[in-house]
Amino acid sequence: MMKNSIFNISPDRSKYPEKDAEGNLMVDLDSQKYVKLWQGPQHPGVTGNMSLELTISGDEIIQAKTHVGYLHRGFEKLMERRKYIQCFPTCIRMCVAEPDYNEYNLAAGIEELSGIEVPEMAQWLRTLVLEMARLQSLLRVVPGQGGTFALGLGVQWGVYLRDLILDLFEELTGGRVYHMYILPGGVRGLLPDGFKKRMEETLKKIDEFVVNIDNLMFSNAVFKQRAKDVGIIQPEWIDQFGIVGPNARSAGFMRDVRKDYPYLVYDQLDFEPMTMNYSDIYNRARLRWHDLIMTVDLIRQIMAKIPETGDIKAPTPNVLHWKIPRNETYIRSESSRGEYGFYMVSDGTDKPRRINLRGPSYVHAISLLEHMLINANIADTAAIMVSLQTCPPEIER
Amino acid sequence: MEQLINKLQKSFKLSDVKHQRENLTFVTVKKDSALDLVTHCRDYEGFSHFVLLSCVDWIEDGKFQLTYLLNNPSGKFDLGIRTFISRDNASMTSAHLLWRQIATYQRELKEMYGIDFPGSPRVDESFILEGWDEIPPMRREFDTKKYSEDTYFPREGRGSNDPATYMKSKLYPDDEK
Amino acid sequence: MTSLKDILSPFTAWKNVILEPVTIKDPINDRPGAARYRGFHKNDITKCIGCGTCEDICENEAIDMVPVEGIETKDGDSGLRPKIDYGRCCWCALCVDVCTTNSLSMSNEYKWIDTDPDNFRFIPGVDKKSWDDNEAGWKKPEPNYEFYGLKRAEMGELHPEERDHSFIEFIKGYSKQQAQEEADRCVECGICTATCPAHMGIPDYIRAIRNDDIEEGLRVLYETNPLPEICGRICTHKCESVCSIGHKGEPLSIRWLKRYIADQVESEHYKKILETENLVKNGKKVAIIGAGPSGLSAAYYLSLLGYECTIFEKLPEAGGMMRYGIPEYRLPYDQIDKDINYILSLGVEIRYNVNIGSDITLDQLHLDYDAVFAGTGLHLGRSTRIDGSDHENVYQSIELLRKITLGEEIHVAEKIVVIGGGNVAMDITRSLARLQKIKYGKVQTLATSLETEDKMPADREEVVEAREEGAIIDPGWAPQSIEIVDGKVKGLHVTQCLSLFDATGAFNPQCNLDNKKFFEADMVVESIGQGMDLGYISENIKDNLTMGPRGRIQVDKYFQTSLPWLFLGGDIIQGPDVIHGIANGHQAARGIDNYLNAKG
Repeated sequence: MMKNSIFNISPDRSKYPEKDAEGNLMVDLDSQKYVKLWQGPQHPGVTGNMSLELTISGDEIIQAKTHVGYLHRGFEKLMERRKYIQCFPTCIRMCVAEPDYNEYNLAAGIEELSGIEVPEMAQWLRTLVLEMARLQSLLRVVPGQGGTFALGLGVQWGVYLRDLILDLFEELTGGRVYHMYILPGGVRGLLPDGFKKRMEETLKKIDEFVVNIDNLMFSNAVFKQRAKDVGIIQPEWIDQFGIVGPNARSAGFMRDVRKDYPYLVYDQLDFEPMTMNYSDIYNRARLRWHDLIMTVDLIRQIMAKIPETGDIKAPTPNVLHWKIPRNETYIRSESSRGEYGFYMVSDGTDKPRRINLRGPSYVHAISLLEHMLINANIADTAAIMVSLQTCPPEIER
Repeated sequence: MEQLINKLQKSFKLSDVKHQRENLTFVTVKKDSALDLVTHCRDYEGFSHFVLLSCVDWIEDGKFQLTYLLNNPSGKFDLGIRTFISRDNASMTSAHLLWRQIATYQRELKEMYGIDFPGSPRVDESFILEGWDEIPPMRREFDTKKYSEDTYFPREGRGSNDPATYMKSKLYPDDEK
Repeated sequence: MTSLKDILSPFTAWKNVILEPVTIKDPINDRPGAARYRGFHKNDITKCIGCGTCEDICENEAIDMVPVEGIETKDGDSGLRPKIDYGRCCWCALCVDVCTTNSLSMSNEYKWIDTDPDNFRFIPGVDKKSWDDNEAGWKKPEPNYEFYGLKRAEMGELHPEERDHSFIEFIKGYSKQQAQEEADRCVECGICTATCPAHMGIPDYIRAIRNDDIEEGLRVLYETNPLPEICGRICTHKCESVCSIGHKGEPLSIRWLKRYIADQVESEHYKKILETENLVKNGKKVAIIGAGPSGLSAAYYLSLLGYECTIFEKLPEAGGMMRYGIPEYRLPYDQIDKDINYILSLGVEIRYNVNIGSDITLDQLHLDYDAVFAGTGLHLGRSTRIDGSDHENVYQSIELLRKITLGEEIHVAEKIVVIGGGNVAMDITRSLARLQKIKYGKVQTLATSLETEDKMPADREEVVEAREEGAIIDPGWAPQSIEIVDGKVKGLHVTQCLSLFDATGAFNPQCNLDNKKFFEADMVVESIGQGMDLGYISENIKDNLTMGPRGRIQVDKYFQTSLPWLFLGGDIIQGPDVIHGIANGHQAARGIDNYLNAKG
């Protein structure tokens, strides 16, 4: 690794450990050259319930394995035993941080398979909720990158603002974390009175936050030293690994479902997702900071363009015996982490045959992270992981 | 999309072509040529992004459906390649050399459905279920409700009544069918 | 290289030192849940009917339907109420959105601390909670937000101008798509089953329609009702009056759905579907008097049990009041024949034009058969006995209807007044209107009843359709006298009727004699109820029968009289209603079977 810094005292260890003829690492734990280190599942630097089994030599990681399963609840299986409408409160738990993309994907999938058109008002409200979900997620993730370097102050700002967004969620949907708002056929309510005003008040506070976090994190010598030139994603990995969303955009690949496969009312909104051509931790954090600004702008656009009123739900079959003929589809939406997809198969009964979630972390936190951690310094492990924005629940479902 | 399918049809025996959306098509191929088709699409048709590998259990037909979903990022469309394998001694050629993340999918399918992918890295390592000794749980015959009833205990005092049955017991108990 | 700005700018964060803290000081009191918050449940138990739909939709099995002291099980209310286990509830509020009566909602309360986990299982609305009166909280979103259709699937029918001059059936029946659309609205609560006199498996046959399994549907129908084509057209559908969907929208068209099933199956397939091809006879014989609904029903279920049944019918064709009381445009004769022919195909014999008492005595039947069931119906018209009611141009509706069916010529005047507000009155009104239309090209029939419009016993659609066909319905008048000048009927004098029943509940109409009206007419038809003719029961038998209140013969729950071989059912016991007759016949068949089995 090239590191243009006075803190860089690591010698090039790419020769270690030795490899056998087939290219497998030769790690002999009894040689006392290597140590196994578990980072997680309880560890402040790990997002969610995941652990990393690291083999280290000195302070350098030579092998990493991701372990998940601490939060496995078998939701995909449970949904196969539930009526379509009953999948709606179940599916949201597959990603705790941004449950709304689950709701949207499930609803859009059921609607596509049943041939249901969603009213325009509901489409706007869905778009709003999805952007609010992105916003509250980014409010944690952007300062969270500082947190991995013990810069906890921004996290506190972010968590406070996130709670203000959750207040708005509570007003609109009746829930703070699990909103259960986007259901097959439409949504569950219009904007409450005065919602736009309170939204604008909150967005103004976020505007200030955007400046403050810029000063605190991105114009911070320490943060720069730690985050620049570390955890690099090479452009050729994007297709090899199946990298999506901000992680792909930071490496120069324009991958954003909202632009590539416009859904809901995104084609009526003016936005240009950012791409960069050098993907290190700093740039990925910076790109998410830009995403946050863009999301605030999108919410303002939605607030200006959303119709005053309209139907919130299309008529559907009786939800108690809603059957869908045998068919299959793949529904994708852009979560804050990237493409979030549901592969759905129906079999003619009132229950799905298969719903398979494809979350970005499935790739980012396993094959990609395991690859990126090799030769990394153990002090950077958490930072690299957070910079990929991993979400373990969507891996194990 | 139509054009592409016609083109592929010449080299591969595609069946059940379903244009689900203008940018999403599913096709079925024989097990032997599935990975040839996947490789061909990746190398020659611009499907550089691998979306997912999933399995659907058609227990009534004795078959597992494997779906390889490929994405063409420049053309902005998806191709779902379905292939059906037998449920008994289920096994499929490993595709881990095509994309780096496929090994993870195959590891999960081994654990959740019991489908073997010989040669796939770490395919036998447990992925999510540490210490699981039941049948692979995503198979349709695995009954989650029964498992939870056998494993956990019910809450005392729960019990419900069906309205129609209850009304009969109250209003016309003697009426036999 | 590190710039000076990068070293200094993080220190701008110090400005936060002078800002007020953002923490809520007293969150227990200062932070109520939002107006839509999904907190602990509330239930308006007076509105709740215990349909259990909330339990059905709950994906966590958090809801139990439990009996509640003080809430009675009755028609339209199971007496059960939802009890929620908050160890399982996920606060999704689907139970609120699916609730058929809108009784269930959620409060905005989210704070509740208790040391006993069992307290977190309670019956909202019954177990009092501090949030029961909270206005805020989740309610079903409005408008146009429903989990099932509230409007009936459209039924094709002939326009009034197409139907008012003919007796062809004007309700066309559901197409497959319409039937499935209608069947889809059912929430399968089963509240209707208790109210149906025959306790038909209504949710089961509606499910069969949804699954497009007509054969299964027919099997369900015949479990409790051997006259589905008939009932599917003219049943009084008491089930629909308690349908849970009726609380928010239009109740299911249960009757038309029943008809849909029967309409789909050809007669020749019945035996195969219903597995009645090889019935084994048990060698015992039962005589049945009257081929009306109760008699046919008894004959059907007795045949299934192996009895040889013979029906004695006074009139030339079977069906009783269904054929001779209900006009053809509501119930075509070929549909009656379809149901009856299937019963006959099981080996039931009908002897037509036989008068019990004169042609063959009841005593003789007692000797020749192991048991006798009589369902002879109400075929005598009742008169108002007002002045002029004995005139030859004053008729009994039931006799006119019978004559129309028999094909006899009846007198149709230019101006007709019908007295009565029940379904029979509507039947004769609409029949006469048709005949007037045919004879004179215009309708001048008027029906009047004691009851005011909102209390008329006739089905609502009968009144609406009669008006569509040109008849005038003017309810709320008590007939006083029929004016007769020079031996000719001139019209009916009425006064306004204020109330029908006195404080004790006895029939005692009160009139406002100052408010009078005169309905011009040259023919009057009385349709105020029917009586029974039990002349076929000889005196020596009558002497041995125990009589009940109001001069009726007393029967037990199996319709067995105090003479164990004699069973009575149908209108003569229960009052005029086809579906009751069918249920009586079925129950009597069980009773006869029990009796003869015990006798050996």
